[in-house]
Amino acid sequence: MVPEARSHYREELDQLEASALGGLDLARSALDRTLEVIEHIDVELAQLVIADDDRIDGRYLEVHQALINLLATQTPVATDLRLISALLHVLKNVERMGDQCVNICKVIPLSGNEPPADPQMTELILAMGRHAMSLVSQSKRAFAERNLALAQDLVRQDDAIDAMNRECFHLALQIGEDADTREWAMTMMLAARAIERIGDNSVDVGEQVAFVVTGLFREFEDASHPGRSVPGADLAR
Amino acid sequence: MNPRPTDATERPVQKAASGGPPPLLPLPTSASTSTSAPRESAGRTRQVELRDLNAFYGSHHAVKDVNLSFAPRDVTAIIGPSGCGKSTMVRCINRMHEEIDGARAEGQVLVDGTDLYGAGVDVVAVRRAVGMVFQKPNPFPTMSIRDNVAAGLRFTGAPRGEIDERVIGALKGASLWDEVKDRLDQPGAGLSGGQQQRLCIARALAVEPEVLLMDEPCSALDPVATLKIEELIGELKERVTIVIVTHNMQQAARVADTTVFMLGGELVEVGATHKLFTTPEDERTEQYVTGKFG
Repeated sequence: MVPEARSHYREELDQLEASALGGLDLARSALDRTLEVIEHIDVELAQLVIADDDRIDGRYLEVHQALINLLATQTPVATDLRLISALLHVLKNVERMGDQCVNICKVIPLSGNEPPADPQMTELILAMGRHAMSLVSQSKRAFAERNLALAQDLVRQDDAIDAMNRECFHLALQIGEDADTREWAMTMMLAARAIERIGDNSVDVGEQVAFVVTGLFREFEDASHPGRSVPGADLAR
Repeated sequence: MNPRPTDATERPVQKAASGGPPPLLPLPTSASTSTSAPRESAGRTRQVELRDLNAFYGSHHAVKDVNLSFAPRDVTAIIGPSGCGKSTMVRCINRMHEEIDGARAEGQVLVDGTDLYGAGVDVVAVRRAVGMVFQKPNPFPTMSIRDNVAAGLRFTGAPRGEIDERVIGALKGASLWDEVKDRLDQPGAGLSGGQQQRLCIARALAVEPEVLLMDEPCSALDPVATLKIEELIGELKERVTIVIVTHNMQQAARVADTTVFMLGGELVEVGATHKLFTTPEDERTEQYVTGKFG
């Protein structure tokens, strides 16, 4: 075989993958700051997170356009085609993660400067957030390493977030009769729900890892039939 | 006609004659032989199978132990880097390969079970049953458009009264009729490159082949002419089994139902085109289609 051809194209594809996966770092960073917002009711930081979401959106637009250009000009096939398709999905998930952080940062200030916070519920949501940050990092690593086992492990990790979300819901139900406290709990449930969605987005990234590696797209978990095993979901085993 | 061999490979053909489509063989052996057999076969396509096919140029082993089936009503694209043996393999199907000094082929090329390399098979009849279109359009330069298409018919002894009708049918079949119907007596060489190639396709179609081999048929054509040929391939596959050799992987992706990847004279991978271009199984196929070598 002759030395590798299309080196410029390969470099560009590698760079675009790095940029798209770098978007996961941006989302993780946004979530990190969002947790600070939740912990300290930091309205100024919330505004910063909202403003900085433009960086995530910009990354989405920039890499998305470059991938479309590659499709148009280089007619990628086989693994390259699967990779580009997967990166387009990853980008969408990155953009959604950023939006979830924005959603949280928009609702937190509504609860007021010194809300009647329940420390147990706050700590649970912060724990959820830290776990979600870990999932975002794990999804990035799984993609970069084309690591199916790591990708599928995201489901197990996400189950923990889902469990914490349910626990949060129960805490909210038992928060008491005080109207302000109930309102605060309602706001925090919105935050918990947004974090839970970030976990789901990470699992979606993992599903794209499986697609790149195997050529088959299968949901790791069927949301409409929870608990039912999904054909091909054990790809890494 | 030479006596037909009576080995086992012919039995399916005899069986087919009583039930399914009429047999390809016995093939006519001279120009005077009736053309009724291929006429009867119009509208059908044939199963073509290569068994243990090997081809040589002197001591150079160009095609190695190829076993491959071309399904009826299928377009099969052969891709691979230069020198991989794809054109040689295709030329074995209509026994063109053996025309080169020092070249020889071994193995079987079966059309509906009948070996084209079997004893008693007439090479001329094989080439009528297995038509070929080449890289560069090659109309007979001094002949009119009409005579270019009729040349094969006259050579195979088609009844004089049928020739005009079949020329028109072939030109229509090659999507050229509307462009040339008012100038049938003008030289074929006066047509554009794309029209000349479709003229060559019409010439091949006129004798109603079972199989049409196309060896990089668009490599000398502009994009519009290329797309016309590709559309034509899609229409023709209802009538003939098509095997196309192409360097253009996007063309293979556009026109072929099945794609074959060859390397170093060997078949590396055969599969549905969409599969080969999205999830190839062999790492060498992956490397080639993604442009990592070639």
